Amino acid sequence: MTDNDLGQRRLSEAQRQGRSPLIPQQSIAAKIFHWLNIISLLLMITSGLQIYNANPVFGGRNGIPFPPIFLLGGWLAGGRHWHFAAMWLFALNLLWYGVYILMTRRWRHRFVSGKDIKALQRTQNQKRRNYAWHRITYTAIIPILLLAIFTGMGMYKPAQFHSIVDCFGSWQALRIVHFATVPLVVIYAAIHSWLSLKVGGSRLVESMFW
Amino acid sequence: MHQLPSRRRFLELSGFSSLSLLLGGCALSLVEGVVGKTFEPLNQSVETLLFNPQKLIPEFPESEIEPEALIVNTYRFTPVIDPLTFRLIIDGEVDNPLSLSLAEIQQLPHHTMTIRHVCVEGWAAIVQWGGVRMRDLVSLAQPKSDVRYAYFESADGYYESWDLASAVHPQTLLANQKNGEALPIENGAPLRLASPIKLGYKQSKWVTRITLVNQLRRSQGYWEDQGYEWYAGL
Repeated sequence: MTDNDLGQRRLSEAQRQGRSPLIPQQSIAAKIFHWLNIISLLLMITSGLQIYNANPVFGGRNGIPFPPIFLLGGWLAGGRHWHFAAMWLFALNLLWYGVYILMTRRWRHRFVSGKDIKALQRTQNQKRRNYAWHRITYTAIIPILLLAIFTGMGMYKPAQFHSIVDCFGSWQALRIVHFATVPLVVIYAAIHSWLSLKVGGSRLVESMFW
Repeated sequence: MHQLPSRRRFLELSGFSSLSLLLGGCALSLVEGVVGKTFEPLNQSVETLLFNPQKLIPEFPESEIEPEALIVNTYRFTPVIDPLTFRLIIDGEVDNPLSLSLAEIQQLPHHTMTIRHVCVEGWAAIVQWGGVRMRDLVSLAQPKSDVRYAYFESADGYYESWDLASAVHPQTLLANQKNGEALPIENGAPLRLASPIKLGYKQSKWVTRITLVNQLRRSQGYWEDQGYEWYAGL
């Protein structure tokens, strides 16, 4: 049975029972990616803040540290162990997701397109506008996640990947950009959750998890 | 409909994993050690794979030296060393054990390099170091063919171990100069390690003894013995 047949059957069942026929469905692969992405990002951010606290990007030794509730690893070495372990989960998860959307050709309709931009410029239909904004936000997170990996490689192996450090100008600039991916991801998560609720309600949100 | 059981199973699994994340709070310090021990071999083999012992790391022009950026991290105390009676011992699995005075060391070819010194804490500084190559000292001592590691002992009790390939990299120096001047005592005078390929904690100050060995001992370095990674390659 194909996904499409299954969808048809559910749709007719729903119609018989008098429920709304629009049950959002996500592929199991998308759900697994979503889960692993959330877990690995939590590990990366909390262990990253632990490393950050050893010498804050802003202000050095006298900078303001993050409180322990946000930290993972207990001390600098523990934070580094977690960070360099979770980076495999984080990066490989993103890699297989990239392969997956290429292989299934989802890249052609999953992400933001000219239609969404046009919709934002022309339509007054609020639902269509929310939908376009939502597609823009979850497309924008992909380059941010890739930037986190790119800057991270430059900091992890500056001798081998010195050109990465060079293209940000200085070590401090590289650290700032790498750190900036943290607030970007946190802000993204908030906007993404809010827009998902607006676009598809709790059923859309739940469909991404279960 | 045939997907339902696997989805329910997935739900259970994800529930367990988030529960264990919550409960794990108190056991995290234990887990942290396990995580380190599990992934360090993988990370180390990737680092070794990336490392080319012959390849020079690009250097910086002198105008980019950041004299203020190099923070002094001292672990116990600053030892007082008399340069006139100082001796550098090179021993272990070698055919020609050495005990060198500073004057003898200064007769070896002098090299300078302007490199980025990267600290495990996250900061970095561009520094110019001058001194003798570790590879010159090692070849004087004539190590036996099975030597794979170098142990460094410092006058303050600090100790470190390196893989031999990194120790004899052309940009691993036993430095006696910093930014064109005599090495200050707080930076490790008379002799300290300086290298663009290892994190700062590998770069022992006040080095007094180098022992070449064919296997790692149980203690691998002051910070490593407390949980830091050993390879620490950049």
